[in-house]
Amino acid sequence: MVMTIDWGIIPEYFDFFIQGLQLTLLIAVISIIIGFFGGILVGMGRISRNRIIYGISTVYVEAFRGTPLLVQIFLVYFGLPQLGIVIASPLVSGLIALSLNSAAYQAEIFRGGVQSISKGQMEAARSLGLTYNQSLFTVVIPQAIRNALPPYTNEFITMIKDSSLLLAIGVFELTLQGKLISATTGQSIPVLIFVAVLYFVLTFSTSRIMKVVEKKFAIPGMMGSD
Amino acid sequence: MTEPIIEIIDLRKSFGDHEVLCGISMKVMPKEVVAIIGPSGSGKSTLLRCMNLLNEPNGGKIIFLGHDITDKDIDINAVRTQMNMVFQSFNLFMHLTAKRNISLALMKVKKMKKHEAEELAMQTLDKVGLSDKADAYPGELSGGQQQRVAIARALAMEPKVILFDEPTSALDPELIGEVLDVMKALALSGMTMVVVTHEMGFAREMADQVIFMDQGVIAEQGTAEQIFVNPQNPRTKTFLKRILKEVGALDPGIPSDFVPNGENGQDNP
Repeated sequence: MVMTIDWGIIPEYFDFFIQGLQLTLLIAVISIIIGFFGGILVGMGRISRNRIIYGISTVYVEAFRGTPLLVQIFLVYFGLPQLGIVIASPLVSGLIALSLNSAAYQAEIFRGGVQSISKGQMEAARSLGLTYNQSLFTVVIPQAIRNALPPYTNEFITMIKDSSLLLAIGVFELTLQGKLISATTGQSIPVLIFVAVLYFVLTFSTSRIMKVVEKKFAIPGMMGSD
Repeated sequence: MTEPIIEIIDLRKSFGDHEVLCGISMKVMPKEVVAIIGPSGSGKSTLLRCMNLLNEPNGGKIIFLGHDITDKDIDINAVRTQMNMVFQSFNLFMHLTAKRNISLALMKVKKMKKHEAEELAMQTLDKVGLSDKADAYPGELSGGQQQRVAIARALAMEPKVILFDEPTSALDPELIGEVLDVMKALALSGMTMVVVTHEMGFAREMADQVIFMDQGVIAEQGTAEQIFVNPQNPRTKTFLKRILKEVGALDPGIPSDFVPNGENGQDNP
């Protein structure tokens, strides 16, 4: 059966699209932020000289990087209740899974950033009497995160897109909203194209915002500054 | 009798199977300038980096102000506030201005208030002639200026001794002079300095004690006069002859026809 394409359903269902968009944005922002700090924590483990901490964080990163995100989402949503851990809503389960996953990727981004900083920076800080942690937090990490901004941008964009997987556990984010609207109206093409456009608005804004952030934090006299 | 600031006893350091320091013993007295010279790979930088434990020695003792700092119980951070280092590659904190490069450790380690730390940073920058560059980032400074900021950064901590690890080796020839001038002023002000260097002119002019290292041992040591004018060890002679041929013409501290004595069996008149 061939249906004519009716773009009119977009204004008609506009509020539903925006609800989905808002939820997608919320999911992305929360899991990116938790993933960022979690990533620093796990990333610190990945550069730790303590073998046990290094081992645990390495297993964590490899496990989350090496398995499908959808399986991780299912494990949190269906698996945790089986262990007696009841989570109130699919949204919270989804946020947990996405944050844990993003922390693994952001840990590697963080580690790469730290390792891009020359050893001399740490040595200079240590030889002035700063402790290892002081040197790390005041000298190495501020530079490491600046260097890592481009891969961070990538990860943020990935999170926005991957949040769509939460439709599988019934979170009414943008993709599931779109799916429902298209099922109701039968207008798959305009609905899905509009959904795609809305994702693109989010990802493109993110990359623009991050460009501004990169400029703002560029170190004068170094590559990338004016 | 004055106590040495640093006394090193039978220091050993290996990287894997390769023994870099094979039993080094030496003393650094207060207000002394010690120059460590020698061919590359002779272990002189490793020796310097062992002194503040950036490299951990495998054996021997380092007595700093009466305490053996190779002891596990020693607070190495406290030791390092009194024994600062200036690096070949400057290692200024790239994300901080010249002023904040200096004030950072004053605030974090010496617990100074921000305005006190910045005031002292400005005074120290003035000493190295760079108060007008206080707000410049390292990437905006020339190599020579960066190294002067690095010296100021060490100086501001008011250390007992400053270790210099080939401070001019990464500089363009025309920038070496300004750094050496700052180091000379520092030496004249009574700062105790241990300097690993290829600048024979500086060593000859400023050093109270010159240590020639070769293959992980101190092959010869003595006053600048003894080492440069009257070296005894054939290895010292060979090294000086070679390095003077390479840099002698560029180094204003050494006459271009200078040849260490005893090379052709002639005595110095």
